[in-house]
Amino acid sequence: MLSPETSRVQNAPLRPLFVKELWEILSGRALWTMLLLMCPLVGYSFFQAASLYGEASVAGLQSPVLASSLSPLDGILVPTFGAFYVAITLLFPFVAIRVLGQEKESGALRLLVQLPYRSPTLIAAKLAAVLAAWALSSMPALSALVVWEVLGGHLSAPETLNLLLGHLLYGLLVGAIALFAASVAESAATAAIVTLAFTIGSWVLDFTAAGQPGLLAWVSSLSLTQMLHTFEQGLLSARLVAGICAGVLGFAALGAVWLPPGIQTRDKVIRSVVCLVAAMLALGLASQVKLTFDVTEDRRNSFPPADQRLLASLSQPLVVTVHLAPEDPRYADLQRNVLAKLERSMPNVSIRLADGRQRSSSSADEDHYGEVEYNYAGRSDVSRSTSPREILPILYGLARVSRPAPAPGRDYPGYPLVTGSPVALLWFFFGLPLCIALAWWWSRRLPKPIAARSRRRFNHEHD
Amino acid sequence: MDGVLQVVSPNRSSPRNPTFAITAAAASEQPCKQVLLRVDSISKRYADQTILSDVAFDVQAGEILGIIGPNGAGKTTLLEAVAGMLPIEKGDVRWHGKPLPPPRRREAIFYLPDGVRPYQEQPVARVLTFFAEVYRRSTNEVQDAVGSVGLTPVLHKRVHALSKGYSRRLLLTLGLLTPHPLLFMDEPFDGFDLRQTREIVSVLRRKAVQGRTFVLAIHQLSDAERVCDRFVLLAEGCARGVGTLNELRARTGIAGGSLEDIFLALT
Repeated sequence: MLSPETSRVQNAPLRPLFVKELWEILSGRALWTMLLLMCPLVGYSFFQAASLYGEASVAGLQSPVLASSLSPLDGILVPTFGAFYVAITLLFPFVAIRVLGQEKESGALRLLVQLPYRSPTLIAAKLAAVLAAWALSSMPALSALVVWEVLGGHLSAPETLNLLLGHLLYGLLVGAIALFAASVAESAATAAIVTLAFTIGSWVLDFTAAGQPGLLAWVSSLSLTQMLHTFEQGLLSARLVAGICAGVLGFAALGAVWLPPGIQTRDKVIRSVVCLVAAMLALGLASQVKLTFDVTEDRRNSFPPADQRLLASLSQPLVVTVHLAPEDPRYADLQRNVLAKLERSMPNVSIRLADGRQRSSSSADEDHYGEVEYNYAGRSDVSRSTSPREILPILYGLARVSRPAPAPGRDYPGYPLVTGSPVALLWFFFGLPLCIALAWWWSRRLPKPIAARSRRRFNHEHD
Repeated sequence: MDGVLQVVSPNRSSPRNPTFAITAAAASEQPCKQVLLRVDSISKRYADQTILSDVAFDVQAGEILGIIGPNGAGKTTLLEAVAGMLPIEKGDVRWHGKPLPPPRRREAIFYLPDGVRPYQEQPVARVLTFFAEVYRRSTNEVQDAVGSVGLTPVLHKRVHALSKGYSRRLLLTLGLLTPHPLLFMDEPFDGFDLRQTREIVSVLRRKAVQGRTFVLAIHQLSDAERVCDRFVLLAEGCARGVGTLNELRARTGIAGGSLEDIFLALT
């Protein structure tokens, strides 16, 4: 309809767009500065974690019981990646915003939106660049894992990969929020404020609302940082992964809605509402997914395998009524040791929290405080224990099944390692920063053939 | 990625070059051409301020149309509105007589804004290669575009290191690499001296002869008179006159008057 070259205008290869986005993010100072800042931050966290782990390992080497409590996931991986998380929360938004904000400020965005790509494609390319930036940013943390292996430490692949996946999803979510903010905001500074409101706001939610009952508990569950806790516990939750993916896609879609000029704000708002509704529906669907895997080597999030199999075969609904306040430490114990495991192993479990303010009401209610009532197949029993050793027999009794014989298997040995060599610090304070500086220099080089050819031709013309 | 740009033949044309024989005046005497784009009743307001009021004009195939007016006349707003980069309250744009909705305008029109330095951290060659790969331009086509605007000496420089003139040349080259039949350019000669302006005019002329159509927003009347086949005289958001120089002279009754005289008479 338009011109003989319409196909060139309507269809364009994706490769140049992705390559351009990569060059753009590599050319900026923000990424490299963040990487340089992360080296000492992650390195010192790793060094501290390894030192503490080494001190605990001294006793662990004398006693197998103590050794079995030494897991590199808790001792090394979580603290090391904790520093990485801080950097991603505070610094990564600036890198991600640059992917779009720079083009917006230089006016290049007005050229970009005229290229034969749809807005979702442009945002997808930018999200891919953000992903590449995250991969580069993870180098200090990944190098800490290599150092740990070199020092003789143990790493469980499923635990490590699960934690990496959690941080990757968190990074993508922060990146998607940053892209959305950059798309909406007029300046990069405003976009940074919007993004930090999300990330630092999550910390505030964690501090103020976590552990609170009712609405506050629901509000605290929206915190971005809460999602990492599941991965840090060694759990791979399909619900969580699907929920985060829905969040990433939702923010990316909002970014695509607000990217193109030439559309009335009213229309953008309507499209945004549609995106929000779709994202909410996706989150609702994701919340129905109940598949969770315990990827820890010590199976800390599961009952013994024989119990797991038997519990999975109990098909009738189990109703648990807990007479404890949510902030009561016993409730946290019960939740971690029993209820969460039951929810993951049994097909139909309902947990009801009785009013937590019972303590201040009648004396009869006070007598019931601390009780946990289990109802299965029309039979019920009550316990005050928070230990699976006492609760599982109660459940088997209610279900009229006999307790399974423990399956033979190797107990988790633990992995004590006395280390804490300050030599590792040299890598994080000198070696790695030097490598990053060299990579920065390499990325700043002009393309040699063109430079040489151009100079040759230029000299030739002016001879 | 940078392989598209290999050997570039620079354009050594000068004001003495025979290509300058094709002048705006000669082009304006050509027979009536096909209407490519019809702009009708474009209006744009910001809050309670009217920026454009019922602006209407046609763009003919292969011509260079000048949107002429002082700073603040609404030239940039008009270009952006027609290019679909700015939402408008009212107005209609037709392509070969058929309605062209804003989302599809980028298939027909490419708009080069004023004051843009795209991808400042990248070498010029890399920016050109990006556009060339997006539009699947051959090496020869890229060399032709680079050579015609004289961008060769700065291919290895980063965009932020370019002078204002070379920055303009880069934008023009990007525009030439696009396959769109209609190119909108906002203040294309800003930053050029007289000689450079003439070089760029000759480039635009050659491209127009080859079938490309240009709409240029220009505030320098002398530049506009030298370059454009027809004019849209814009003042305070209203089109005060549309036509060739001769048509505008006839309308104002200023025989032999310059564009400046006509503009003053009409506004």
